Amino acid sequence: MKGWVIGIDVGSLTTDAVIMDEDKRVLSFSIVDTGYNSTDAAREAMTVAAGRAGLELEDVSRLVATGYGRAAVPEANKRVTEIACHAAGAVYLFPDTEMVIDIGGQDSKVIKVGKDGRVQDFVMNDKCAAGTGRFLEVMSAKLKIPLDGMGDISISARGEAAISSVCTVFAESEVVSLVARNCPKEEIVKGIHRSVVNRVWAMTRQLRVSGGVTMTGGVAKNRGVVALMEERVGRRINVPDEPQIVGALGAALFALREK
Amino acid sequence: MSIAPEIRYRFMKDIGAPLVMGMAGLKGKRKAAIKRDIPLGPPLKCSKRLKEIMTRHYFLSRYAEGARPVAWVTSGAPVELLRAFDFYTVYPENHGALCGAQKLGPELCSIAEGHGYNQDLCSYARIDIGVCLSGKTPVGRLPRPDILFASNNICQTVMYWYRVLAHHWKIPLMVFDTPFNFVSLDRSAITYMVRQFEEMIPELERISGRKFSEKKFKEVLRLGKSSAMAWGEVLATMKTVPSPMTIFDAFVHLAPIVSLRGLPVTLEYYNVLLSELKDRVSKGIGAIVNERKRLMWDNIAIWYKIRDFSRLFAERGMNFVTATYTNAWAETISYMDERNPMESLAKAYSLVILNNNLDHRLKLMERLIKEYQVDGLVIHSARSCKPYSVGQYDLKRLLMERLAVPSVVIEADITDFRAYSEEQTTTRLEAFFENIEDGG
Amino acid sequence: MHLDLETRTRKDYIREQKSLHGRKVMGVFPAQYPRELLLAMNILPVEIWDPPLRTREASAHLQSYICSVVSLGLELILQGKCSDLDAFLFPHTCDSIQNLASIVNDYLGIHKPCYFFYHPKAPYKRASRPYYISQLKELKSGLEKQFGELRETDLKRSVDRWEEIRKDISKCYLLRSEGRLNTSNRAFYSILRRVEYLHPDDFHPLLTNFLQSGRTETERQGHGVLLSGVLPNPPEVLDHLDAIGVRVVDDDLLSCSRRFLSGPVSNSDPYEAMAETYFSLPPCSTRGSAIEERLNHILKKIRSSRADGVIFLIVKFCEPEFFDVPILADSLKKEGIPVLVLENEINQALSGQIVTRIEAFAEMLG
Repeated sequence: MKGWVIGIDVGSLTTDAVIMDEDKRVLSFSIVDTGYNSTDAAREAMTVAAGRAGLELEDVSRLVATGYGRAAVPEANKRVTEIACHAAGAVYLFPDTEMVIDIGGQDSKVIKVGKDGRVQDFVMNDKCAAGTGRFLEVMSAKLKIPLDGMGDISISARGEAAISSVCTVFAESEVVSLVARNCPKEEIVKGIHRSVVNRVWAMTRQLRVSGGVTMTGGVAKNRGVVALMEERVGRRINVPDEPQIVGALGAALFALREK
Repeated sequence: MSIAPEIRYRFMKDIGAPLVMGMAGLKGKRKAAIKRDIPLGPPLKCSKRLKEIMTRHYFLSRYAEGARPVAWVTSGAPVELLRAFDFYTVYPENHGALCGAQKLGPELCSIAEGHGYNQDLCSYARIDIGVCLSGKTPVGRLPRPDILFASNNICQTVMYWYRVLAHHWKIPLMVFDTPFNFVSLDRSAITYMVRQFEEMIPELERISGRKFSEKKFKEVLRLGKSSAMAWGEVLATMKTVPSPMTIFDAFVHLAPIVSLRGLPVTLEYYNVLLSELKDRVSKGIGAIVNERKRLMWDNIAIWYKIRDFSRLFAERGMNFVTATYTNAWAETISYMDERNPMESLAKAYSLVILNNNLDHRLKLMERLIKEYQVDGLVIHSARSCKPYSVGQYDLKRLLMERLAVPSVVIEADITDFRAYSEEQTTTRLEAFFENIEDGG
Repeated sequence: MHLDLETRTRKDYIREQKSLHGRKVMGVFPAQYPRELLLAMNILPVEIWDPPLRTREASAHLQSYICSVVSLGLELILQGKCSDLDAFLFPHTCDSIQNLASIVNDYLGIHKPCYFFYHPKAPYKRASRPYYISQLKELKSGLEKQFGELRETDLKRSVDRWEEIRKDISKCYLLRSEGRLNTSNRAFYSILRRVEYLHPDDFHPLLTNFLQSGRTETERQGHGVLLSGVLPNPPEVLDHLDAIGVRVVDDDLLSCSRRFLSGPVSNSDPYEAMAETYFSLPPCSTRGSAIEERLNHILKKIRSSRADGVIFLIVKFCEPEFFDVPILADSLKKEGIPVLVLENEINQALSGQIVTRIEAFAEMLG
């Protein structure tokens, strides 16, 4: 096989690689922990992905890096921001996409995409952990509920606890007192999800919702958050099977584009 | 002004509003039958009348559009001048407080945030911008303004906020610029302010389509001054032990002097309130059942916590008997003098607490602490209000040093309870209660 | 001379000004003040915008929701780093600076004279100008009590001098917007910002030298942006723009063009001339200009400098700027101009997130 490319997304929590051929077919992907050394993590992700596709890394024709650690990939032919990559990846998966909502571990962003797949405008949270995966992580630890189980728990909730504080530390203490008052866990979790959605919604509003909305990033796997977000934007939201690798996918598309 | 809105307005004013108010009164009666809070004394009979006045004010405001010139006004602006031209005035700050008390702050603020307004901005402003952008308000509808009237004697924030409104409504913004008293009020500042008034008159004549009547203006000044003095007397009844009213009542009964200043109804109302309070004083009736400690409040109210706090403190036999905030409308408006209208108006408005240096504030608080026999001080550090909040940490320290008054700072906001932590506040207040009880 | 100024610290410079030239030194808080008046009295204004400190003591006096310009300014005083200053001047710029002034003057007990300067807020009326002049004269008589009499001829000379400097600053801006100034973003602002503490005797030659040596006839390469906000901070933003080949072609910064690019002065009376300067400054949130006016001003600058986009660099918690931004950003976007709003502390290191935003913005420019 000739002319295949790699897109790599070095994020703060995980590093993802996607291998794609000239016909824009995904051959394989990998997700590894970033750990302390981004360069090592990038190599590991690429090796794993290449192994899965049965390819030799030396044969890669082009490599594009994205994510916070994009500068730490010395082999990269080009570096592109994750904003452009999420946009490109989302449009590839769902061609009707005009808005991308990416809720990642450290930050969240909302991207407005043109028909050509190019970024028209974007907003990123600039406050703190509020409205990010990190917020969910802190709360899941507090409630002793695994992160990937939170979505299903909240779907079963009948009521919803009110969590008003924007600050993660304040919200944490609100959760503690809800627990102390024996508020059902699922209602607390739903309240936590609502808080994340409200923060992200404030960003979404700034860009005015239109067309198809696609959610990317690890939090898109959380059905509870997606459901509340759909309620808020008033339309169905596209969710990829592997929302975490959309950035790397976009990077691979950039690699093909430049060939 | 066309005839139809004029007729409609008059009809609503004379017939429609009383009818609606009557219905609202019935609803109120039904509510009053619900159980009373134990630690609180009997409720003020006047409250019903106050509710009628304020409901009527907001109710009528929707019919004012087209019938009378409409102005949106900041709480510290010299509204007396507008009254001389028969403007219908709406106070976004009062409306913001109302939204805050109904716990609508975060919802309305987030509308503004969705349009890019930063969450750290004043929440009165965010609520108001949210209301303008969405038309949502608990009072039904706010009338479209013909003019915006702002004074920076309370903060610079209102200037930024009202510029946004001016852009939104495409109407003129009239500013009364009151030089901050870093040291003291000087002659050049008075001249500057008087000249501004002189320049406003022809502009207001043009916008309102009405001629300036000096006679009416003086009448308004007289009414405004008398109401402010009556309000001052209302507050002064709280010097009595036990105090016939709590500051939480005063926060609510403040509405007319803020929003309806210079109108006969305000003076009328405060006279009624005053006689009720005097009656309580003569009978020794206190606002809370067992007043053991007397407290002072600093800064604007935490509107969404008024009910909770009034109970929380009453349960411990603690009564708030004075506040720098409620005092602000009694302190300087009495400078108004119809014999020297413009200059006295300039003084009345530029000498307010927030347009004065912090030394002035310290002395004022010292005086209130002594006059009202205050045992402790609760300081609301309000994210929304920088001119009121910056300096509070030093004030706390200095008041402790000088008068040994224990105090506590609550980090909160006037209406946006997303910036408020119940748990953190409770812990601080508990420590304060321990402290104040130790102090004897 | 040039090199010498590069290496000397501000502290050494201040000490030398005092010992060698017998000058008094005034610590001045942001933003607008009549520097001509101070200089005419042989007082060197040293502006306090972004001291290179970390907040330590100031949090005992200021809440966490107060901006870093104000908290670091207070920090500088509290850490005892103002011992060389003879007095402070607080212009009435915003609520936070207003109250900071009062904390310093009324509460801290630091025994250093404090002066205040209130400038009238727009929309300007006929009353504004005479009031501004009366404020100038009051400041003058206040200063005279501490620093000795001001001679009218000295004031006139100082006013003329500042006008000459402003003309050269304008020239720098013009050349830069035309792409005829060969300089990095970082270098441009590092030269310009020396005006915050250098005496005209040192600043003016530095500036003219910069103008002459930087002139070029080659066309601008890469994308150009207009910078708006308070300060060109953190300076790493400028470095990063340099690194990715984006050139700042003009600005609407409070600490820079909004204080300097006023119209030419025609009046021979020095007080009238100073008033003329003040009232012809570009629209500004801290002076009460209508948002529409500021928008038109920015649009004009974008056209003349052929900027491809606008970056708002806003100091966290800065109310005057944050109220203007949504309408400005929205209107610019409607004109098809890409906008990036960055919110940061003045001395905050460049986070990965800000780098990403800047780069994604550059990608959007094409």
